[in-house]
Amino acid sequence: MDPVQISLLGVPGRAVLWALAIAAFGVFGWRIYQLVGLLRQGRFENRFDRLGWRVGHFLRNVLLQPRIFNERSIGLPHFLIFWGFVLYAGCFNWGLIRGLLPFVPIPYPDEVPVVRLFLELFAVLVLAGLGVALARRLFFPPKYLHLSFDANLILFLIAVLMLSNLFGSAFTQVAEGSPATGWAPFGSLLAAALSGVSKGAAHSLAIAMWWLHMIVVLGFLVYLPYSKHLHLLASPFNVFFNNPELPADLTLPGAPAEISAGASRWQELTWKQLFGGFSCAECGRCDRSCPAAAAGFPLQPQQIIQKVKQHLLATTIDQPRSAAGSPAPSLIGDVFTEGEIWACTTCMACMNCCAVWNEQVPLIVTLRRHLVSQGQVERTVQDMLANLTRYGNSFGKSDRMRAKWVQSGGLKIKDARKEPVEYLWFVGDYASFDPRLEEITRKTARVFQAASLDFGLLFEGERNAGNDVRRVGEEGLFELLRDRNLQTLAKARFQKIVTTDPHTYNTLKHEYRVDGRPLEVVHYTELLDQLIRDGRLPLKPRSNGPVTYHDPCYLGRYNRIYDPPRRVLAALGLELREMPRHRDTSYCCGAGGGRIWMEDTADVKERPAENRIREAAALEGVRTFVVACPKDIAMFRDAVKTTGQEGRIAVQDIAELVWDAVENAMTPAKGATA
Amino acid sequence: MNIVVLLKMVPDTVEELNVGADGRSLDAEFLRYKLGDPDEHAIEQALLLKEKHGGTVTLVALDAPEVDDVLFTALAKGADRAIKLTGAESPPGTPVLAQAVAACVRGVWNPLPADTLILCGSYAIDDLEGELAPWLATAFEIPLAMVVAGVQIEDGGRKAVVTREFFGGLRGEFELDLPAILGIQSAEKPPRYVPIAKVRAAMKSARIDSQAAELPEPPAGLELGRMAKPEAAGHAQMLEGDPDKVADQIIEVLAQQSLI
Repeated sequence: MDPVQISLLGVPGRAVLWALAIAAFGVFGWRIYQLVGLLRQGRFENRFDRLGWRVGHFLRNVLLQPRIFNERSIGLPHFLIFWGFVLYAGCFNWGLIRGLLPFVPIPYPDEVPVVRLFLELFAVLVLAGLGVALARRLFFPPKYLHLSFDANLILFLIAVLMLSNLFGSAFTQVAEGSPATGWAPFGSLLAAALSGVSKGAAHSLAIAMWWLHMIVVLGFLVYLPYSKHLHLLASPFNVFFNNPELPADLTLPGAPAEISAGASRWQELTWKQLFGGFSCAECGRCDRSCPAAAAGFPLQPQQIIQKVKQHLLATTIDQPRSAAGSPAPSLIGDVFTEGEIWACTTCMACMNCCAVWNEQVPLIVTLRRHLVSQGQVERTVQDMLANLTRYGNSFGKSDRMRAKWVQSGGLKIKDARKEPVEYLWFVGDYASFDPRLEEITRKTARVFQAASLDFGLLFEGERNAGNDVRRVGEEGLFELLRDRNLQTLAKARFQKIVTTDPHTYNTLKHEYRVDGRPLEVVHYTELLDQLIRDGRLPLKPRSNGPVTYHDPCYLGRYNRIYDPPRRVLAALGLELREMPRHRDTSYCCGAGGGRIWMEDTADVKERPAENRIREAAALEGVRTFVVACPKDIAMFRDAVKTTGQEGRIAVQDIAELVWDAVENAMTPAKGATA
Repeated sequence: MNIVVLLKMVPDTVEELNVGADGRSLDAEFLRYKLGDPDEHAIEQALLLKEKHGGTVTLVALDAPEVDDVLFTALAKGADRAIKLTGAESPPGTPVLAQAVAACVRGVWNPLPADTLILCGSYAIDDLEGELAPWLATAFEIPLAMVVAGVQIEDGGRKAVVTREFFGGLRGEFELDLPAILGIQSAEKPPRYVPIAKVRAAMKSARIDSQAAELPEPPAGLELGRMAKPEAAGHAQMLEGDPDKVADQIIEVLAQQSLI
């Protein structure tokens, strides 16, 4: 039975198929051509390097989709629908070639028993998946899932494709009078149910099913690049062209100076930033993970991506005729509000869960760069930037006060600019200047000394490393700070850098280069872990917990350092009780990306740090909230007060706990000698 | 409009200030200079006027450490020309500074164009009385308004209506004929931020005109005798305890002082 050898209203079937295919592929191709043309108007960015990594990344994240499974209800259904779609798309093209080109010596796909089996198996699996997907949309939609008509229509069309295949299989069996077969298990079942249909009618219906299937696929092809389901075409490319250095390293690759001025029009975004919107599936994972969105700030990472796409299309190829000639809206003001651009803490939760690997944080920083280039910066941030420009620290203190904690604590620490050291301790602004942190910084120094660590400081030569400055969008100031630090570092003699601040850690590690090579940087939790394992720290714990540990964004998600701090806690004999959100789902304290310098807007429901403290306070028996980031001390100690948890839970730096155990071990035991 | 802004570098109080060996000047070892806040506002006010009425903004400053950074920053913000007066060994007193600046301005414009507005900070931490503007007004014999917090230009650039601030939150509007001198307390908007990239671009594209300063002998008058760090005369007493106890202590203290 060849479904093409029929006459449709007097026109040969094959001619009709040709006409439909040319029309559908023509419209599809034209639209894709237009979309690619738009991307080419964006700024160039080289995403064509390291092909080996890209292929591996593609294979893992497109074919296996681990990130889809980070939400259990839709993980498996999406996986099945995806693979069903791949199978069906392949067989569609196969069938189309067979239908259009009769001289090609191949059978129709469903004439090959094993293919027919797979088509049927997947039809049923996909239908089950669609059922779950539809039920999720109708009855238990997660927050921020975009519930569009578009999405339901797509589910319906896919269902039609599956059903037309199953019924086609069944009617073919009835028409041919062939017996039930294991190669068509579901078609056979249906055929049994449809055995009352006459052979002639079944023949016609089988052909009708084939045509229905082909027409729906061709229609889908036309509809797809106009709908959100463009994601299914675009996202594999989006994954392939992902930059794994983002957002830890926001260096603009081979950037001309104008890129550091950010983007005020869509043409000033890179093609990859424009492309992100085509890939977005509107699933809302990023919004659900976003601490700013949860706190009630006017930011939803998905909207950042979506608005670029909507703006791009609405001002170009989808522009209504009536709007032609009107002035193009500007990106900031008309498309984005300043509020949403500044609300981001750059915590990377969105990028960490995005199943299509979109790059929200760098996009937001690009928009901030434009605001900074126009001087449109909040007063408090301006003051910080002015302080950083003049004094090299955000506290507006004289750089000569940077190491005051050393003298006032009666400590003697080497000057790495004057004598060689193994570890250069890059202290960072908060640990150096914040009075709440001075004692913790001293304890850290005493721990290092107790381990006989050969370490030194840059003293007044150190400048803010520039992590927050860069993420606020002040690229010029970042470069200034980095260059000054590199000049000072060039004069110092050291083997590795250690720092307590994850923000400093990230920037020194990923955004500084000496002769093209990265610096070797360790976080103090890594160093403490190493010192303990080497037996260099005498430990005699005073308590056994239980405690909970907060993964700092820039240590955890950015640099995947999850185990060293946990090993240190274990070595201290502390029982660790994890918060529900830990390791890569850790919840931001709200300080990153320069947020620590900004005022919270009035409509904030619950600050991220407060939300986090409540999460910890709900853990049975936990009275200590351990952090490994100076800013976390500031943020969470405030939050303990504002949530009324004082006396119930205490925020402690991991270095304080280590020092407690070291001090205890070094003090001669009382009573033993009495 | 022809807007001239006089900038004066002052010691940065964030750094440690010590009295020098001569007992009459600041120890230069840790001294850094910066622009005073009122001067920042004078620049902003000048830029706002330029944006509204057009014209040029010319900066005039006496040479001092870090003055180039300050001038390039102001150029990056939108000022048109910067003149640096060189040759002063140490910061001269306000009367000499005023004479040097006046000579420079006369060298550029003589007579002053009718739409000239000269702005400077209404005070500086080493000129709390705000003497600079009055000295300049005397030198040019033109009208002066001090402690200005807002400027409107009227009559097509012939008149300025300025808002002055007084004690107790009082404000007054005054009308001056141009050319005039204004001591700026605060601009209508907070000083703008200019990104480092623009300052760096200005350093490449813009130029600072260096001129030798004409420095007259200081006029006879007050002389600085001795400089000293403030000495603590007494300390605040912290009252501690629960509110009732603190209230009792307050009553006791007030009674001791015969205030109740």
